[in-house]
Amino acid sequence: MSGAVIWTLVALGLAVLVVRRRSLAVALVTAQALVLVGVALDEAESSGDVIAAGALAVRAIVLAGLFLLLVSRTRAVRPVRARVAPLARAGIAVAFALALTWLVPAIGLVSRDAERGVLALVAFGIATAALRRATLFQIIGIVLVENALALAALQLPGGASVAIELGVALDLMLVALVAVVFYERIFAEFGTADSATLRALRD
Amino acid sequence: MTSRELLALTVIALPALAAVLLLLAPTGLVTGLARFASVPVAALAFALTLLALRASGKPVIGDWLVIDVAGGLLVGVIGLVGLASVLVSPAYLDAGRDSLVSPERRQRMYFAALYLFWAILLAVPLVGNLGAAWLLVEATTAASALLVGFSGHARALEAGWKYLVLTSLGLGVALLGIVVLAAGIPTGGLDGLSWRALSTYSGGSETALIAYLLLLAGLAAKIGWAPVHNWLPDAHSEAPPPVSALLSAALLPTVLLIAWRSQHALAPVVGENTTQTVLIAFGLASLAVAVPFLWRSLPWKRLLAYSSLEHMGVIALGIGFGTSLALAGVAIHIVAHAVAKALGFYAATPLLSHEPRAGEHAVTGIGRTKHALGVSMGISLAALSGLPPSPLFVSEVLIVAGGFQAGHPWAASATALLLALGFLGLAHALIETTAGDSPPRERGPIAGLRGVTAVTCVSVVLLLGLTAAAVALPGSDLAAALVRGLS
Repeated sequence: MSGAVIWTLVALGLAVLVVRRRSLAVALVTAQALVLVGVALDEAESSGDVIAAGALAVRAIVLAGLFLLLVSRTRAVRPVRARVAPLARAGIAVAFALALTWLVPAIGLVSRDAERGVLALVAFGIATAALRRATLFQIIGIVLVENALALAALQLPGGASVAIELGVALDLMLVALVAVVFYERIFAEFGTADSATLRALRD
Repeated sequence: MTSRELLALTVIALPALAAVLLLLAPTGLVTGLARFASVPVAALAFALTLLALRASGKPVIGDWLVIDVAGGLLVGVIGLVGLASVLVSPAYLDAGRDSLVSPERRQRMYFAALYLFWAILLAVPLVGNLGAAWLLVEATTAASALLVGFSGHARALEAGWKYLVLTSLGLGVALLGIVVLAAGIPTGGLDGLSWRALSTYSGGSETALIAYLLLLAGLAAKIGWAPVHNWLPDAHSEAPPPVSALLSAALLPTVLLIAWRSQHALAPVVGENTTQTVLIAFGLASLAVAVPFLWRSLPWKRLLAYSSLEHMGVIALGIGFGTSLALAGVAIHIVAHAVAKALGFYAATPLLSHEPRAGEHAVTGIGRTKHALGVSMGISLAALSGLPPSPLFVSEVLIVAGGFQAGHPWAASATALLLALGFLGLAHALIETTAGDSPPRERGPIAGLRGVTAVTCVSVVLLLGLTAAAVALPGSDLAAALVRGLS
């Protein structure tokens, strides 16, 4: 995988953190997953690799469909304002990513660029979940982390186990499905998709 | 395939099959079918536990399946708590009508999700592979999050959402650790992640340490170790009581077993002392965070949730100390905690019927207004606090002694001090809850009390039996098998 592709994936991840509209964030994270599918197919050496790429594609399309359906069914009167401004979010996330790449030594992927890309995407995913108030962005943060792990699996020297890749895709779809159920009920109960309303449980 | 392997597969398959049947069965048969299926599932789980304990010197260790003493014990615990949770669930379902799904599908979805959760839980201790273990642990999140938010109330939705997001992110971090490990194991593929193959990691001890830290930090989010425990008190307090029991008594120690197996497998690469120190740090942090909450007046289920944080810390310390004494203490602690904690959560159903404010406020004087309920709650709290003759008293003594034996006098002393402080907090709660001043309450019959009384009788027998076993366990073949692990 070329460095340009890796940094495209990272740029898409950073864009998810910055954009305001939920539908645009869904499009970006789906584009990221589809780039990974393309890379997986390009580097496939066995039928198992093709199956794993297929699972990744199904996961990307199913999640995009679910999320876009959710966006259309939960139109808010006022968009949820993030608690941190876009540039500040980007700054915090980039600082987190740089700290991770500085702290974590070589982890054994085929290139150092790939390792940096994986760590940056994990950082962006966690930052998205932590810094965005709209609940859908918290699910998208999880998907970003999983995309980072898919990139890592593609960049393992001996390739990853197909069974594990299929299982991860299935698990993520299950979790996303449950999250969608919760999202709709939260929207119905609170009249907003703002995670700031979820603060009744404190000690 | 040996008889143990066949039995293990049946133990996993039967509740999964029951979950499917519950989805398809006519509505009128759902509760009966759920009750009926719970007995053979639990019986098979107990049979597997007995076989695993009897053959402690000859564990089954494969790439996909392992059956050893630690896993066998957990299967027994999950079987027991699952059985009791299914049997007391009708009282919970009868007491309320709200849920995430429509009223017609309420019982069906509840029992199907409960059985699915039970099946996945039973599979986790038996899985022979870190990658597959991760998949199963992540799958428990999907099944159990639905159950946490099952009532559909605002607070339950908040708890379920936090649980889903925080544990999924945590498990993402754990998966990164697994990927890093996979990169450095010569075998590659799924076989490379089997418990035995993990010790062949050749990517360098520094990278192995990073992978271990990522793995444990991620699993900690699911186990509820401090400082990544935020979802735990919310989910435990807002889930239906039978589900809270499964979460606390079965899910947390089951995921902890994966952390234990990982520590054991990676110790030759990372260093025994380093891997144990990480567990000791998580254990002490969890105890230190939990104890101040045990001193506060909290709603019943929230108090039990912070007690779970305390006990998961104690178990982490026992594994971290790693001596024969400490691990004997861990085995007893896991089983006794499960019995006492499950009883406490089951008591919440009649408690909420008797005192509706108990969901959001601390309650006092339950023993004065409803003796049987006060006895159940009192036995649960007394056992959890470590009041002799509770088996948790013996197990905590064993773990602290194991800490001194392992050459960690400061950690063992800090553990003893924090446990003493925790005991005082829970003892105060015990007195207030059972014998404190009580406001006027309705004294009529309350939902679910008969079932909880029956569970209390069984729990007392089990707890006393465990105390006797705790005295005999150190130095036994079982304790030696726990130290050997899967090596």
